[in-house]
Amino acid sequence: MGENKNTEIMLKDIGMIYRTNDNKDVTALTSVNLDIQKGEFVSLVGPSGCGKTTLLRIIADLITPTSGEIKIAGETPREARLKRRYGIVFQGAVLYEWRTVLKNIMLPLEIMNVPKDEQEERAMKMLELVGLTEFANHYPNQLSGGMQQRVGIARALAIQPEILLMDEPFSALDEFTREKLHVDLLKIWRKTNKTIIFVTHNISESVFLSDKVCVLSPHPGRLSAVVDINLARPRTMEMKTTQEFTNLVAKVRNSFEGV
Amino acid sequence: MEKLKKLANTKYFMTIMWILILVALWEVFAIIVSHTKRTPENILPHLSGIIESVFSRRTVNGDQTAVKMVMVNAAATLSRAGIGYVVGIVSGFALALLMSLWKPIEKIAFPYLMLIQMIPILGMAPIINALTGDINKSRIVIAAILTFYPVATNTLAGFKSVQKEKHELMYSYAAGKIRIYTKMMIPSCIPYFFTGLKISAPMAITASILVDTLQGGIGLGCLLSQALKGAMTRYVFWQIVFFSAIIGILSFSIMGLLEYIICPYKRTQKN
Repeated sequence: MGENKNTEIMLKDIGMIYRTNDNKDVTALTSVNLDIQKGEFVSLVGPSGCGKTTLLRIIADLITPTSGEIKIAGETPREARLKRRYGIVFQGAVLYEWRTVLKNIMLPLEIMNVPKDEQEERAMKMLELVGLTEFANHYPNQLSGGMQQRVGIARALAIQPEILLMDEPFSALDEFTREKLHVDLLKIWRKTNKTIIFVTHNISESVFLSDKVCVLSPHPGRLSAVVDINLARPRTMEMKTTQEFTNLVAKVRNSFEGV
Repeated sequence: MEKLKKLANTKYFMTIMWILILVALWEVFAIIVSHTKRTPENILPHLSGIIESVFSRRTVNGDQTAVKMVMVNAAATLSRAGIGYVVGIVSGFALALLMSLWKPIEKIAFPYLMLIQMIPILGMAPIINALTGDINKSRIVIAAILTFYPVATNTLAGFKSVQKEKHELMYSYAAGKIRIYTKMMIPSCIPYFFTGLKISAPMAITASILVDTLQGGIGLGCLLSQALKGAMTRYVFWQIVFFSAIIGILSFSIMGLLEYIICPYKRTQKN
């Protein structure tokens, strides 16, 4: 570990303790140390209660850790958020239903005071990236779940962040749509060179997508292993049937403690 | 049989069935009344009699026909109800906004808002009349008060129903409070706001008519009590009853139509 020019996110001894309503302390995370490099695709994988979403929310400045230090490109999460260094995608697409697809993608740009004609131009470019150009003027409720999620990704990328935070973005989708979106996401990632942090409870998904799989174990939430995924890029569906892939899935599975 | 089933599923089938059943029931009772009572129009006249009175050219009071009188008085009542309605909407929305912006205001105001609903209009009217010193002003104020509550509570419910993740997105964009409200909170509460408008539109009208009856002047309620006292043909009373019902339903539908126009996304269906 230590200082490195290419380090995008540095987590040092991160701990998170919640106080419940009946005044009991619950340890959600304890001493997480992790460095994420620029342009890396990193998954946080683990069962519910392992603190993977908590960790993502700490990076997003949605919660503040009770101990430890975190630096995003040398800055605090708050500074990184105010500079819009990250885009976030949730499990649901969380689209604003009264806005068309295009207007949804333009929303963050409106808030950032991007000039009006540039807003539309950038939003259209993002729609092209996720392959939904012809749906620009549709309302979210006219789209399928997979398409909505793609709009969510386009919107997160529209602010041109360095980091894309994804919180179980495909877990509500059916298997076929999910596999299609895996391939699409990897294409988008290759084109845009973002650092992606991807939270999931699906082991095979994490292996297929990532450079690095961070395995989190529950009670208390902790980082129990980091598995490097050395599968060739670009990844293809066929790789999922190779011995190498199954070995890596097994390796990740065997890294869990106390499940 | 298939065709009949299809017909039963159409949008207007139920409405038409309801109207037919109500008309039939009305007429059955009207026939019974006309055989047993000496002045059937005081209790339940035939519908044909009411319709006839609408088109009758006979003057009932000075040189006015029954329908002309109803319309003149309706214009007065409806304009008062309308002004009160708008005042109620604006203040209801404003309070909901304040309650949403500052939690202490919600804690102070919200539990007691319900009291407004619990005071009977007839109890409120004399007090408001004394305060405003003018019966027409107090009629407007009461329409406003009745509009205020449904609009305020529904709009507040709308503000509160905004998904947590939507707030988090705004937070991640580092959006300021004004942007959060103009870009997210207000657009997303519009359907709730319209629920309030739809509930209170007929209420404002009925309340106006009711408060009309308390004192004289021009107004549907004033005319209604005169007609009940026998100052003119009883059909004026029946015309008012039907006119108010129709206007009440119409006011509800107009709000629905407005919502339909303002919220185009509600029209679209998943394809």
